[in-house]
Amino acid sequence: MNFVRLMILGVLLSVLSTSVFAADRLTIYTVNYPLAYFAERIGGEQVKVVFPAPVDIDPAYWMPDQKTIASYQKADLILLNGANYAKWVGKVSLPCGKMIDTSRKFKDRYIVTKDVSTHSHGAEGAHAHESLAFTTWLDYSLAAEQARAVADALGRKRPALMKEFSRNFESLKKDLIVLDSEIRRIVSTAPGIPLLASHPVYDYLARRYDLNLKSLHWEPDEVPGHGQLAELRKLLETHPAIMMIWEGEPLQESQDELSSMGIKGLVFSPCANAPDEGDFLTVMKDNLKGLQNAYVNQTSQ
Amino acid sequence: MIDSLYLAWQYIRFNRIKTIILVTSITLIAVLPLSLEILLSESERQLLARAESTPLLVGAKGSALDLAMNSLYFDDEVPELMTMAAANRIYDTELALPIPLYVRFQTRGHPIVGTTFDYFDFRGLTIEKGQSLTLLGDCVLGAKIAVELGLEPGESLVSSPENLFDLAGVYPLKMRVVGVLAPSHSADDLAAFVDLKTAWVIQGLGHGHQDVTRTRDRSVILKREGGNVAANAKLFHYTEIDAENLDSFHFHGDTSIYPVTAVIAVPHDDKSGTLLRGRYLNSEDLEQIIQPAEVIDGLLQNIFRIRTVLDAVIAIVGLATILTMILVFTLSLRLRQREIQTIFKLGCRKATIARMLSAEIVIILLASSLLCAVAIGVVDGYAEELVRSLLVG
Repeated sequence: MNFVRLMILGVLLSVLSTSVFAADRLTIYTVNYPLAYFAERIGGEQVKVVFPAPVDIDPAYWMPDQKTIASYQKADLILLNGANYAKWVGKVSLPCGKMIDTSRKFKDRYIVTKDVSTHSHGAEGAHAHESLAFTTWLDYSLAAEQARAVADALGRKRPALMKEFSRNFESLKKDLIVLDSEIRRIVSTAPGIPLLASHPVYDYLARRYDLNLKSLHWEPDEVPGHGQLAELRKLLETHPAIMMIWEGEPLQESQDELSSMGIKGLVFSPCANAPDEGDFLTVMKDNLKGLQNAYVNQTSQ
Repeated sequence: MIDSLYLAWQYIRFNRIKTIILVTSITLIAVLPLSLEILLSESERQLLARAESTPLLVGAKGSALDLAMNSLYFDDEVPELMTMAAANRIYDTELALPIPLYVRFQTRGHPIVGTTFDYFDFRGLTIEKGQSLTLLGDCVLGAKIAVELGLEPGESLVSSPENLFDLAGVYPLKMRVVGVLAPSHSADDLAAFVDLKTAWVIQGLGHGHQDVTRTRDRSVILKREGGNVAANAKLFHYTEIDAENLDSFHFHGDTSIYPVTAVIAVPHDDKSGTLLRGRYLNSEDLEQIIQPAEVIDGLLQNIFRIRTVLDAVIAIVGLATILTMILVFTLSLRLRQREIQTIFKLGCRKATIARMLSAEIVIILLASSLLCAVAIGVVDGYAEELVRSLLVG
């Protein structure tokens, strides 16, 4: 009889503790998937991470609806990438006290993109519409700094759990350092080889790992037009690349066009949105595998 | 004693008019200073309450009073402007939550308060109708301004131009009213709240227009030169922000150099507050940090110096009234000389007569005290509302 009572008591206590625990979890909204992954890794069971962008959209150019903005406003923390990523943040009202710009501490290392367009009107003169490269997490050392900003923010919100968050952060940092070392090793096998990028999203990757990279404006799901092909041919005269890095698997027609010019395709997903399979780390490991194979082929030629 | 009270009561009843005048004079002379004291204390409390609930204010160096009055009560006098970098500086210290304020523009005679979402939580303001600020161009109204302007969520409100003669200036912005705040009985009831970025759009620092790099209308292009496209005055600027043109709105340059009038700093604890104040001790700093309670308290000390004058006037009037009362009683005794002689001849002792006259005075004073207590109770009960209506309007 006593055993039955103890069992019931145990069940009641566990239900109670679960509900109290669930109510105490921090709700964290993020503007891209890498930050959601960092928050999940660091916060573990103590946090509920929400990244509400649809999976088929680039979060950098996404505009949430009013209901989603209201959800962001109610979150305990809003993790921002910084570097003008997710421009919608600048067009809505969000509580600054809850917003954490994870790249704020290294804003002096932001990359200003070269293709600056300006316009002028009225008495104010020319306005520069220059933009910042924002795929900061592809420099894994910067990704680690962003992860640290997440850990610090969580620690400030839940000081009692600071040790747990620090432990989880160290584990994540270790994984990022491994990626960083690995890519350095791969690139060192053929330093300075000319590369192409289908889109200008690899600026931080190129800077950190000394890639000789030139960017185009090609979309993986669009066949390049005559103008784009002409632009590429002109570029190849000064930058004889034999590899092009794509954000996603390109169309067969695009691959054929490139093959005819002796250029091979390589997918290196920035993983800005949640992957269909795996997580940030597995996607990055796959990216490195692809890069490794491409470099091996390059050096064996 | 009962006999004396009975006779005194009968005398008072017989001389009603004289008694009423006496009781009224005594009551008024007691009620006036006490009521004034209650109302002044309540005014002081209400004025200080808002200042005390605002721990620290950071603004450009200049008049601390202008800074406090503009930031707390949205006064017309705009203090020296500073940049958003001041808010970022506080944020970087991790000692306090910065809440920037840009209280410069007006709409139909009411202040437009540009701030961040945090302001509503900080002041405990809740939405009564509609929703909170969401998009650029949204506007939330205080309870009183909504009634005065007859506006409801879904309607719109246009910002007033700063200068009527600046014909080439910035176009007024048509703002969407998305919500109305619950009454807070403070300056917030009389303000229109917008996001800080919307305030910058009102100023013209952010704007939306046709994409000059893609437009096919050559008549708006003045010249194309390298990477720059110069547009002429024909370029259409949007004067209202909606879902369709929201994307075209943009800010030029670094928003950290954009203007704000003040930053409310909410320290995480007392120690953080003290440390933050220490960061502004450098005389070369372009910013000052103030404790609004100190500034407003200083102002009230000056304003309420008039209380001393009032107290003196009331004391003199009170003294005059007491002297008049003594005169009234003395004259009354003279007039009643024959009546007193008759009572004496009937066999009453002098002590009994004195007791009877004292009883009359006691009854009059008691009646005055009772009336005074009732009047003070009424004033005390309505003081908060009365002062609020005088201060908030």
